Amino acid sequence: MNDVPGIWTHARLLLRKDLMTEWRTKERLSPMVFFVLLVLLVYNFAFELGGAALWEIGPGVLWSSFVFASLFGLQRTFAAESTNDCLDALLAAPVERGALYLAKMMGNVLFLVGVQLLTLPLFGLFFNLTPGLYLLPLLVVFLLGSASVASIGTLFAAMASHSRLREFLLPLLVLPVLIPALISCVAATGFILAAGIPGRAVQFWPEELTLHVGMLALFAVVFSTLAWMLFDFVIEE
Amino acid sequence: MQLCVDNVHKRFGSTVALAGVDLYVGADTHLLLAGANGAGKTTLLRLLAGLTGPSDGRVTIGGEDPRRSTEQRWRLGLLSHQTLLYDDLSATENLRFFAGLYGLGADIVRPALADVDLTDQASARVGGFSRGMKQRLALARATLHAPEVLLLDEPFTGLDRRSAGTLSTRLLVRTRETGVSSLLVTHNVVEAAQFVNRVVVLRGGRIVCDEPWNTDDGERLQALCDHHQELAVHE
Repeated sequence: MNDVPGIWTHARLLLRKDLMTEWRTKERLSPMVFFVLLVLLVYNFAFELGGAALWEIGPGVLWSSFVFASLFGLQRTFAAESTNDCLDALLAAPVERGALYLAKMMGNVLFLVGVQLLTLPLFGLFFNLTPGLYLLPLLVVFLLGSASVASIGTLFAAMASHSRLREFLLPLLVLPVLIPALISCVAATGFILAAGIPGRAVQFWPEELTLHVGMLALFAVVFSTLAWMLFDFVIEE
Repeated sequence: MQLCVDNVHKRFGSTVALAGVDLYVGADTHLLLAGANGAGKTTLLRLLAGLTGPSDGRVTIGGEDPRRSTEQRWRLGLLSHQTLLYDDLSATENLRFFAGLYGLGADIVRPALADVDLTDQASARVGGFSRGMKQRLALARATLHAPEVLLLDEPFTGLDRRSAGTLSTRLLVRTRETGVSSLLVTHNVVEAAQFVNRVVVLRGGRIVCDEPWNTDDGERLQALCDHHQELAVHE
């Protein structure tokens, strides 16, 4: 018998397989990007944003579109495994259940951050966002926000994948749990965008940001740990 | 390697799938798990594969719970009526992926494909394969790591008589050549007769028949299974 590969090797193989499949099918990224663009376009015509208004409503627009778009991606998390019962092959293989969770979670983070980075320039264009280095902390907020969404979302996606009502069940499970993390995402994004309001002194890292970024990091760690611990039970039953 | 099922019960809500099953499978065993639909055959196989856990009782492979032991799961190969393959990947990519999960190098893929006559389709996506080709590739996937026990859940389903015969022969050769034990769940009893040496019949989640089988007389085996199916109908 060969040595059984470790959890990280398995997670890497699973993630690579998911990325390869996505590269060919585009079945997760396409609807996510399309949805965010649609929301941004609708809001663009609904409000004439810019200046202080951008700071007030922009973060909410951005994160509500990201979160709802993430549901499209989360729904598809285990779709490849449901087809042809591939999940059975993975569970019968010498793969720790945790490796499956890690791979799916990292995949969801990558897809969500990818969508955020793809759509941010359009957000800037539609909402008269002044480009500048002050936007760099957004990357941290995007990453931690996506990690929070993906950590708990992956667990619930596994749970919902066993259900006939998965499309209905997933948002019902995910959204209430995410509210505290979303508040931090919106607040942190607001502080970053506020630095770009014309006439204000540009601050690269506003003081208030630390609290919300810290909160987001805490949510990501707590959500991931809890989901990791529960994943074994969820995926088998 | 020993597979041990010790007083196992499995319930799905109020439905009882298995009710106190005891089964021991040692080396060189080729066991047919027969029974009517809903008798608990697939549930028992899923328990042995570590895909689910028992409600009560204990399932062990080599003395360990297959759900918790990656080493013991390494010793198993699972072939199902579903292909357990990714349609969007090619035959080579599928086998390379699963080889990686078992800690095997990519060099094992080419001979495995040749072994099931799929060398010409190595780079074609599995989604475009016929049912017979998919099942041959599934056999290659299930035996890639040379398992000690093959768990076969309705592997002939959806295959025409010729393809089922071919798969049956391949299974026979594979198990005889490598000394792999096997547990087979199937309704195609005639196909199975040539390579089983023990028959277990399940009825209502209980084992009602467990006897050695030393002939390849498919008709007789079919008659035995039909008899128990009749009894299940009258219960």
